[in-house]
Amino acid sequence: MPRYAMVIDQERCVGCQSCTVACKSEWDVPNGSARTRVRNAGVRGDYPNFVSTFYVSQCNHCDHPTCVPACPSGATYQDGNGIVRVNKALCIGCGSCVAACPYGARYIDAAKGVVDKCDFCAERREAGLEPACTLTCPANAKIFGDLEDTGSTVFNMVYRLGAQRTQSAEVRIGPNVYYAGRPEHVEMAAAAFPPGEPRTVAAGRVWSGFAKKVVYLAVGTTFLGQAVAFFHQLATGEKQFDE
Amino acid sequence: MTSQTVPVVPAPLTFEESRLMAQSLIKKHQVAVVLLHWFNAIVWALELMTGSALIVAPAYRFMPNWYLTMMQEMAGGRANLLRIHIAVGVTWTIVFVVYAVFGWRYFLHAEVLRKEIGLEGDDFRWLRIRILLLLNRTREELPPQGAYNAGQKLYALLIYAMVPIIMITGWIMAFHLIGTFAVQWAMVLHFVAAGMVVSGLMIHVYMGAVFPEEKPAFYSMITGMVDELYAYKHHFKWWREVKLQQHEWQEGIENEGREAVLVAKRADDSNRAGAARIDPEA
Amino acid sequence: MGNKLTRRQFFRNTTGTAAIVGTAIATASPQVHPPGLRGNTRVQQIATNCEMCFWRCGVMAEVADGKLLKLQGNPHHPLTKGKLCARGNAGVALLNDPDRLKYPQIRTGERGEGKFRRVSWDEALDFLGTKLKELKQKHGPESVALFPHGVHSGFFATLMKAYGTPNAAEPAFAQCRGPRDIGYQLTFGRPVNSPEPVDLEESKCIVLIGSHIGENVFTSQVTAFAEGLSKGAKLIVVDPRFSTAASKANYWLPIKPGTDTALLLAWMNVLITEKLYDEEYLDQYASGFKELETHVGSYTPEWAAGMTDLPAAQIRETAHLMAEAKPSVAIHPGRHVTWYGNDTQRARAMAILTALLGAYGRKGGLFLPTKLAIGRIPLPQMPESEKPRADREANQYPLASEEAHGLTQGLINATLTEKPYPIKGWIVYGQNILESIPTRQQTLAAIKKLDFMAVVDVLPMEQTRYADLVLPEATYLERYDPPAIVTTSKRPFVSIRQPAVEAMHESKPGWWIAKEAAKRLGVSDYFPWADPDDHLRRLISPLGIKMDELKALGAVSFDGKPYIEDRGENDGPLFPTQSGKIELVSSVLQDLKLDALPKYEAVEAPPEGYLRLIYGRSPVHSFSRSENNAWLDDLMAENPVWISSKAAESFRLTDGQKVILQNQDGVKSPAITLKVTPAMRSDVVYTVHGFGAQGPSLKKAYQHGFSDTALMTRIAVDQLMGATGMRVNFVRVLPAERA
Repeated sequence: MPRYAMVIDQERCVGCQSCTVACKSEWDVPNGSARTRVRNAGVRGDYPNFVSTFYVSQCNHCDHPTCVPACPSGATYQDGNGIVRVNKALCIGCGSCVAACPYGARYIDAAKGVVDKCDFCAERREAGLEPACTLTCPANAKIFGDLEDTGSTVFNMVYRLGAQRTQSAEVRIGPNVYYAGRPEHVEMAAAAFPPGEPRTVAAGRVWSGFAKKVVYLAVGTTFLGQAVAFFHQLATGEKQFDE
Repeated sequence: MTSQTVPVVPAPLTFEESRLMAQSLIKKHQVAVVLLHWFNAIVWALELMTGSALIVAPAYRFMPNWYLTMMQEMAGGRANLLRIHIAVGVTWTIVFVVYAVFGWRYFLHAEVLRKEIGLEGDDFRWLRIRILLLLNRTREELPPQGAYNAGQKLYALLIYAMVPIIMITGWIMAFHLIGTFAVQWAMVLHFVAAGMVVSGLMIHVYMGAVFPEEKPAFYSMITGMVDELYAYKHHFKWWREVKLQQHEWQEGIENEGREAVLVAKRADDSNRAGAARIDPEA
Repeated sequence: MGNKLTRRQFFRNTTGTAAIVGTAIATASPQVHPPGLRGNTRVQQIATNCEMCFWRCGVMAEVADGKLLKLQGNPHHPLTKGKLCARGNAGVALLNDPDRLKYPQIRTGERGEGKFRRVSWDEALDFLGTKLKELKQKHGPESVALFPHGVHSGFFATLMKAYGTPNAAEPAFAQCRGPRDIGYQLTFGRPVNSPEPVDLEESKCIVLIGSHIGENVFTSQVTAFAEGLSKGAKLIVVDPRFSTAASKANYWLPIKPGTDTALLLAWMNVLITEKLYDEEYLDQYASGFKELETHVGSYTPEWAAGMTDLPAAQIRETAHLMAEAKPSVAIHPGRHVTWYGNDTQRARAMAILTALLGAYGRKGGLFLPTKLAIGRIPLPQMPESEKPRADREANQYPLASEEAHGLTQGLINATLTEKPYPIKGWIVYGQNILESIPTRQQTLAAIKKLDFMAVVDVLPMEQTRYADLVLPEATYLERYDPPAIVTTSKRPFVSIRQPAVEAMHESKPGWWIAKEAAKRLGVSDYFPWADPDDHLRRLISPLGIKMDELKALGAVSFDGKPYIEDRGENDGPLFPTQSGKIELVSSVLQDLKLDALPKYEAVEAPPEGYLRLIYGRSPVHSFSRSENNAWLDDLMAENPVWISSKAAESFRLTDGQKVILQNQDGVKSPAITLKVTPAMRSDVVYTVHGFGAQGPSLKKAYQHGFSDTALMTRIAVDQLMGATGMRVNFVRVLPAERA
């Protein structure tokens, strides 16, 4: 059972966005959205001693994704290899999963009305190709592989060289995109873009709270009402109306 | 009974009157209504089955796991569940919309609406007494009802209110219309509206299919006809209207007949008079 | 009661509904990524090379049924090996750019009004022929100047030479690489060329002076850079701004702009006085060491500290770092080096430093090019010109001696002043003349003096508005261009450009336009090849490459001899200078009675309240070339102006504020966004070049951001070879409401 992961080498990444555009091209990502993003993590320090780095992010295919349980129809699911995927035929585009993702990895494709995100280029891998982003990266800063394969580069980088996950004290859902490099760079990238709180959309809160209660109450009451009527009917022995 | 003798309030019937009335049928529902009703029943059965199986998120789901798995397998995958749900829903909407467009003069006519959902004083009294009767807390008589009793009217009202919501929200979700915000709220409203209809169905199905007193009503949804006795007992005001119309018709025919006889007699008289005048010696 | 009607209706409805439901189901299941893309046998892979910048990385175009699906790197390309940058990937959006030039046009209104009428190619080319013949008759063929861009402009160069004009200039020389090519040629006997032969991946110490690799993205260069760093190479970055490269450096030297030569001389001083240079190498290969030693004696780090604003200790430390790593020290020669008008001498200093470290022709330093015996297409003798070149006076710019060393601003000046003779016609091929050449007011004034201007381009860049004739060229994805013959690669190679899809609209490839124009001018003999295949075959046949192999793979490489140790007797001179040695003291400059060794000359400081305007690149744009690209515009639509926190504070400006830049001559920029950062010097403002397009037909790019070129009303011309130094403009930063 493979456990796919990606490692970003902070020391190699130059923030050139080649991955962003290759992915956009491969998967028709609309303008204004991104499956993988590169952001500047800012600058720290006093003149002239500075530290600066980039943060490459995308769906982390977490060990315990918060998006999967958020999806009303189960369109979002995690397959046997740990990849979190979206079954577009089941997606209604409600965006509950978008709000539930602490990493902002998902987007609604306005043209198609459904949710989309990185799936580690599942279709490409099925054809024996590597993900579009890792292939195109000029700096070879993105590495994809199987953490169960002890000979893989990702295994080496995670378990021997200590590549880090971007987690916070509150959100520890086991993201499978790791960051390697100098501690000050890794730490800075993680601090600049920590995971947010997984949110539930207002409509969802109403559904699981008030709405559910109202419906249960209504159905329960009427059902009970009918049950009472039924027993009443049996008790009074009302027969076929016929005099 | 003649028109003069059509009672204004339901009076006790003689055995003979009851027997006669029990054998006489009057038309309650048109064929279109009958077909539409069963079409609805099938649609609702399918939609409730598939719809409830589509909701899997732990925060929102209400069906047990085995049910979800079973439905999924029957449909050949969850995506198919949604496809079926949408296909049926779309069909349902289109049928209704076409109906509304072509039959609006009939269906949305004030008279029809009054009959189906118009609540009057009698209805409110009926509701109170009916519930108390159920709880064995009164001995009052139920006030006379129209074609549909208060309970049925309330149910119809619920349907009229909920179905457009279900349709619109369904289409918003199925075709990702308007935007994410709309889809989110459509989800909740679709669920609540459907839930309300289900609670109405609890009563509707029980009353229609289980409660013996309403058995004629059930059969009327197949044949379109009810017997006069049932109508007299349960929907007096409607029975009276039908009866009056019948008498009117009868009287009309009779009047026409009488008119014809009088005309014939007058013609005859004038012929004889004319003949007498022509020949005084004959 | 309407019974029958409704019943019939009901049944009719259901059958009608079935059809609707069918489509409903279909639309209810949204389309995913084109199914079967990968396993689809209809998908072709066509190898070509990219032109989103000029590195010409290998590209694989995925095409199905004549439609371009995607671009990705060509794994067979020996240099880029399947990597492709953001702009390369975005070539799809260029192909489909709705603002592309679609058909030939002839001007109807006033020049600059932008009124054109659509014409057929025949009419357009006949018009071109007629006009050029007219000008030849009236003023002589020298009255027409060619402003090309890119190696693929060779067809137009041939055309105009055959026509009889010596006047052609592209910005690559005088607005970009010229000074370093001349500087290194004087020292080592070879220009630097492109791609730069810097052995970054094997280097032990990389030195970047005013070079911002990472923001400046040429795919294989980034790969080599990242590789070298990951192998432990030390990095020294000399830049007034803390660039992406600086963020990876062991040393960031925030040098005072214009003082790089002082630093270089001080480094030489340390290496020589502390005997850290590669003595064996110099003994064997170089001349002029003694003079150099004397020359740099006074250029101590302490002296340089005063000039450069860098601590003397840091200058020493970095010199030691380089010395430790020698000879695997890669001092990147830079690319755009036309800064202050003294840039050739600075390039000389960089070359000399490289030699002191023994790095030229060595692993990890600069490697040697390997020649390829490409075919030549024999042409008839080119007509001799009676008149001299118009871009300079007789003895001006002595080092810009070769034909390829045209001076764009010289031609513009000649047009404006009519000296040495009037230039009445311009052919502008793919050169964004108003944005690339500084002092655009001069350019606009010169255009007004023209009798005829023809523009050949892919997009309606600003100069299109001023043309009499506009010819739409097909994009690189739709055309054949001469192959890239790359010798400055460790494995020299040939990489082809072939059409991936058919040319859209009525656009045509440059070779066709040139060949058709040649017919009208009666110079078809200079285009003796029948078609692209014929042209390509003639070039590659001596190399023994098979056409179908080359077309399938996109590139074919050969064994190279990048290092001195690979070379033998039969490989030609290692240093093709006059003396055959590395000339630390330049004999050519000596002969010309110019400074044979680089001296430090201070540049003018910004006046009180002004900051120096410097500029650079973004990894998601290739200057104005990509500005209108829908995908790249989405990533970066504007160029903010960067200022240091200290300077912002003193001017009472805040991050994100809208400001206006006003230069020393009063020229103002439009309102732009200010970006405040602590990580840069306080005497400069910085921005990405290539924004602020003035061509209104570029719907996305038009007036997005601001043009740094528009603020370059002053230039500093390098007296050795005519390059226009552009970092000599100073600006005030004013809040937008006030100005």
